[in-house]
Amino acid sequence: MDTERYNRQLILKGFGETAQQKLADAKVLIIGVGGLGCPALQYLVASGIGKIGMVDGDRVSLSNLHRQILFTTADVGKLKVEVASKRLNELNPQIGIEAYPNFITQTNALQIFSQYDLIIDGTDNFESRYLINDACALLQKPLIFAAVSGFEGQLAIFNIEDQNGVKTNYRDLFPIQPGKGEIPNCAENGILGVLPGIIGTMMATEAIKLITGIGEALINQILNYNLLNQQVYTITITPSPNNTYKLPSNQNEFLNMNYGSNVQSKAKQVVEIDIDEFENLQKKKSTLIIDVRETYEVPVLNLSDYKQVPMSVFESFLNQDIEQENIVLLCQHGIRSLAAAEELHEKYGDKKHIYSLKGGVIRWKKYFTTTP
Amino acid sequence: MEIQLLSFGKIAEIITVKHVNIEGISDTDGLKSHLEAQFPELKNVKYKLAVNKLIVQSNTSLTHHATVAIMPPFSGG
Repeated sequence: MDTERYNRQLILKGFGETAQQKLADAKVLIIGVGGLGCPALQYLVASGIGKIGMVDGDRVSLSNLHRQILFTTADVGKLKVEVASKRLNELNPQIGIEAYPNFITQTNALQIFSQYDLIIDGTDNFESRYLINDACALLQKPLIFAAVSGFEGQLAIFNIEDQNGVKTNYRDLFPIQPGKGEIPNCAENGILGVLPGIIGTMMATEAIKLITGIGEALINQILNYNLLNQQVYTITITPSPNNTYKLPSNQNEFLNMNYGSNVQSKAKQVVEIDIDEFENLQKKKSTLIIDVRETYEVPVLNLSDYKQVPMSVFESFLNQDIEQENIVLLCQHGIRSLAAAEELHEKYGDKKHIYSLKGGVIRWKKYFTTTP
Repeated sequence: MEIQLLSFGKIAEIITVKHVNIEGISDTDGLKSHLEAQFPELKNVKYKLAVNKLIVQSNTSLTHHATVAIMPPFSGG
């Protein structure tokens, strides 16, 4: 044990070498290397967790940097897990760091989760959150959940029995996954950079408490934090009555769950395309390209002909009729555009060809920012 | 009967009051209908209630000065 590195926590009353050894023996998985994931990773790596895995298929973008301060301006465009691995290894070379450069899906979740003792959900969409919840419930893995919106955060621990032998999961709070557009995400709603820093650090705190057994972890409780008034309001969670929701009870059932668009099963008629197909469609006569990003999002497209319909006003746009036969939607990462494409598909069915640009503007940034 | 309301996230934009005076309503089902009638947008979002810091899993009776928290799911990270 590196007693000098961990000296300040080793000398802590009630912590010491026993707790430090528990950290060294622990294997923690963090999903989403973003606003919540970055600070959680930094503190957990620094604290001496033995093995840390991180899952994220995304690349660093400039609009990440105000809150994901593990990254620098020079990292823009690079794979998050690659940059994070390098930096975290510099912070503490004694930690075994495993990087998974993919998004979490129904097909990879169980296999990855089974290698860790504790799962931390720092993702940014409901599809992943419900998938992670169900996978953890199926494998009986402790889950630290947190999410942020505007100036507020939520934090909870699931799948661990409390003193009364009671266990809960996220579906005991919200049994059914919210529909697309029902709850705005950070890109639509905005977020103050410090907020995920605070909540992500709280996630790391709960992980350390769970692993070492110090204090009282937030088991079967949800903490609501508001940074505008520094108020914390903690609510006790109890299990839902029977039959409120159904969790998958085996791997097959898990694989057949429907978490919606960006994780696994896609609406059949919406086609996700890459940049070559995008270019082909652009050349076709009857094509309408719609950018569903909010007006303040950058980069601004260099395309000569496209329409901007931000998600925040997309509902009212749906009332208008579109003449073109081909409709191509795009956004920053290809998640919102897929949701928008599905809404259009609901309206037009097979009367139109509806496409969503996979990976969005960020993946094909060069194409959209180079002068034609 | 006076109830203190604590709204979180998007719900705070929908429910703009911090107290309600509900005569003739004695439980959370009644309160929900009352709030959804007064703030129709509430019908379009998912939310969970807690009475005095305990999550509501089935209709729960309310007492004078109870605090009811109204919490939506957050997804941001």
